[in-house]
Amino acid sequence: MPTEPIGLSRDLPAKRVMRTMVDGQDIAVWRSASGKIAAWANRCPHRGMRLSHGFVRGENLACLYHGWHYGAHGRCTYIPAHPELEPPATIMAQAFSVEERDGLIWVASDGTAEPRGLPGGLAPLRSLTFQTAKSEASEAFSSTPFEGNPPAVQSSDAGGIVLRVDVDSRTLNIAAALHEANQGETTAHLLVSDEATPAQKVSLSRWCEAVRRRAEAHVTTRGQENAA
Amino acid sequence: MSFTLYNWVLSGNCYKVRLLASLLDVAYETVAVDFHPGQQHKSEAMLALNPAGTLPVLVAGDLVLTETPAMLAWIAATFDPSGRWWPTNDARAMAEVMEWLAFSSALTATSGEARLKAVLDRPIDLPKALAGAERCFRQLEQHLVERRFGGGVWLVGDHPTIADIACFPYVALSPDGGLEHDAFPAIREWLYAIRGLPGFKTMPGIHELHELREGEAVHG
Ligand code: FES
Repeated sequence: MPTEPIGLSRDLPAKRVMRTMVDGQDIAVWRSASGKIAAWANRCPHRGMRLSHGFVRGENLACLYHGWHYGAHGRCTYIPAHPELEPPATIMAQAFSVEERDGLIWVASDGTAEPRGLPGGLAPLRSLTFQTAKSEASEAFSSTPFEGNPPAVQSSDAGGIVLRVDVDSRTLNIAAALHEANQGETTAHLLVSDEATPAQKVSLSRWCEAVRRRAEAHVTTRGQENAA
Repeated sequence: MSFTLYNWVLSGNCYKVRLLASLLDVAYETVAVDFHPGQQHKSEAMLALNPAGTLPVLVAGDLVLTETPAMLAWIAATFDPSGRWWPTNDARAMAEVMEWLAFSSALTATSGEARLKAVLDRPIDLPKALAGAERCFRQLEQHLVERRFGGGVWLVGDHPTIADIACFPYVALSPDGGLEHDAFPAIREWLYAIRGLPGFKTMPGIHELHELREGEAVHG
């Protein structure tokens, strides 16, 4: 079943929580103080509040609402209103398989996460969200000129696109891992050859903004044509 | 020299003043004004002080300020001897801070409006306010992404300024109005950095980083 790239590892430091949707499932992804990552259904087993609003305490995620703690495998470890109680093993947040590879976080909505392969030697650039479907975002990445030239497409599939651009007489690889978290809303997680300088990253980040404008303008034009 | 703040606890703009005063460890007086439901900011006494009928109002002797960016600038210039929060002796940094002070008004007019609709059910065009907030957030995210490539954390320079304080509340509070932070990782990082500043102060809807409360009993 689908394994989706849901964020850059760099954007989820220790003790942080983020939220994503994979295959229609609302998921809280968090990293413990010691760096362990976990992905759980975004529903507290107590009263169903969002765990993504919670905060990390050591190796546990504490729900914001009544402070129940959940640890390894999603097991409830502590209930503040009953501090002496050993919580029953049946109280568990539903866990999803999560893997980190190539600087990306991959989550499977079912079964074991299987990250797709990416070229080596890449470093995180940024993530940005398009109000378009995945195919439109992908199209715009391959068709938006960077410094006057269209990027060379190295590979492209349903999960993303790998491009090559020339900048300052260097050739840089760019990988865009695409995740349509909600229908018509796609997040592109971008990585770039690790030798890119800060100034080159700024240029590439601005090019990403142009890519997004192009993709979203395309969607708006199409919408107007359909309405006409 | 101290001041009096005419304050409503749920106002993001009033919070900017309380937050900066707390970060700079400045003591001041507050006068609670019942904005909702009392409409006290439109009372004769308040209109005599501030004909615009807005909050907050800052009074220091015969100085009366009614615009939040002006209050932040005055507090920083008066109480921050280091000159880093409002860098008036660096022309470029000062101008960049002013850019973000102007931007903070756009945040108030979009994200702040959406929140008024959600919290007080004001008659506001919510889709328009949210679309405007989204545009502001994209602009802010792009800037913070670029700052990060060079190792920067703050909106301007290598120290927080009144620009960060002016922009912080209506970004942090945007989920109240319906705009989540999930799509803006650099903004999330910046919010976290501000919440970690020594002297940081909360308001309803903006939580403390729990590390700051680590002194309480921590389980496990
Ligand atoms: S809903 Fe999570 S602890 Fe109550």
